[in-house]
Amino acid sequence: MRRVALTGIGVIAPVGVGRDAVWSALIGGQSGIGRIEEFDTTNLKTNIAGLCREFKPECFFDERELSRLDRVSQLAVAASELAVRDAGLSNGLLDSYDAGVVLGTGFGGQASIEEFCGAFFGNERARKSAIAIPKSMYNASSSNIAIRLKTRGPNITITTACSSGANAIGQAFHLIRYGHAERMIAGGADAPVTPVVMDAWKEMRVLSTKNDPPERACKPFSANRDGFVLAEGAGIVVLEEMSAARERGARILAEVMGYGSTADAAHITFPCPEGESQAMLRALKDAQVGSDEIDHVNAHGTATRLNDVSETEAIKRVLGNRAFEIPVNSIKSMIGHSMGAAGAIEFIATVLAITEQVVPPTINYEEKDPQCDLDYVTEGARPMDGRVRIRTAMSNSFGFGGNNAVLVVRKFE
Amino acid sequence: MTSEAAQSIEDVVKNIIVGELRVDPSQLAPETHLMKDLGADSLDALNIALRLEEAFKIKIPDEAIPRFLTVGDIVKGVQEHLKTN
Repeated sequence: MRRVALTGIGVIAPVGVGRDAVWSALIGGQSGIGRIEEFDTTNLKTNIAGLCREFKPECFFDERELSRLDRVSQLAVAASELAVRDAGLSNGLLDSYDAGVVLGTGFGGQASIEEFCGAFFGNERARKSAIAIPKSMYNASSSNIAIRLKTRGPNITITTACSSGANAIGQAFHLIRYGHAERMIAGGADAPVTPVVMDAWKEMRVLSTKNDPPERACKPFSANRDGFVLAEGAGIVVLEEMSAARERGARILAEVMGYGSTADAAHITFPCPEGESQAMLRALKDAQVGSDEIDHVNAHGTATRLNDVSETEAIKRVLGNRAFEIPVNSIKSMIGHSMGAAGAIEFIATVLAITEQVVPPTINYEEKDPQCDLDYVTEGARPMDGRVRIRTAMSNSFGFGGNNAVLVVRKFE
Repeated sequence: MTSEAAQSIEDVVKNIIVGELRVDPSQLAPETHLMKDLGADSLDALNIALRLEEAFKIKIPDEAIPRFLTVGDIVKGVQEHLKTN
């Protein structure tokens, strides 16, 4: 079976731009959650979100390009550029029918469609645009990446809510493993912090309303958690067929080992430990890795009561006693929930935990929940030294719709 | 049409082109070609048409848009449209 190497990382998150900046913020336990200043939040119960304030689109695009790209495309294309640069890939290797893109997004070009709808429904401050469709369509971001990088192979957009980014990386991994591509740009991007989306989530009563201070709002696995914090961001990885990566002398960060994907087929929003654990088991089987070989789980960990309990149960079902011995973290505590980007950014954090041998913390943990009884790394970043090293790790992503996607990644050996 | 009115139509048209194509106003002469000289494409043409419709409260027929090649074409097209309506 063909092996798949991970050779580049591009990430834009509320805590920073680029692999090094994001990583040092994560292991420093820094929160990227802040007050929303971009629009009026008077009628919302939540006035905080994870916004990528350090992302300067003008460093990647000229004004004409910016006018053509919704913010989600700006995030996706910029993160792809960073990933390709990190991989040391020259354009010649991407300008090929054997190179492609799989991108996950939950909301697509939401801001562009809201702007058009505003004008349509008579808001005098909103403006119609003749290009609202090509800016807002869900596949705009993946297409814009291909246009920018000249990848001519498969170009696929996956929208499975909060598991989109993980599904995208998993599908890209399989495209390479089974011979349909040599190199893939894969990950997720979302820019859903808009007035309409915030209001719709408000009505669903799943957002944290712990507005003060913003950085302490998101409390995954803690008994006093009250919901997730909406965020934006993009996480992109470069995947390459192992021998092709070696041939060009690429620095190999890790090996993608397995991918499992299931549907709960139960309820549109209510999570189900059975579907989640089956996705984890299938990822292990796909990786040909035993449950006792998993050294770390990067959890979906949204900080909703339903997710955290269901996920903890699923992890215990799959890993048994091993579940209590290994670090399980949620970086959503720091960067919020970036929907279709979350699974990709968290997978990147999982890879970096392996390369750096440090597990970022779950911050804001305050009260023990008897139903959430794993080791959630609540004391601060945990260096993995001595006997307990991370060789193989798992990243969980579970989305509305009952979509579950799990990735297994291993230290490159 | 008075010369002031003609001048103001030209100014509005130029402002719209500058806004949509992010070009410097000094680049716009009557013979400036939107695609060849300013790098516009068909999507830009659609946005310019939309802004012209809003600014002058007119309806630009589909078949007129491909004839809007230069700054002068657009100014003349808008003037004629306003005259006949």
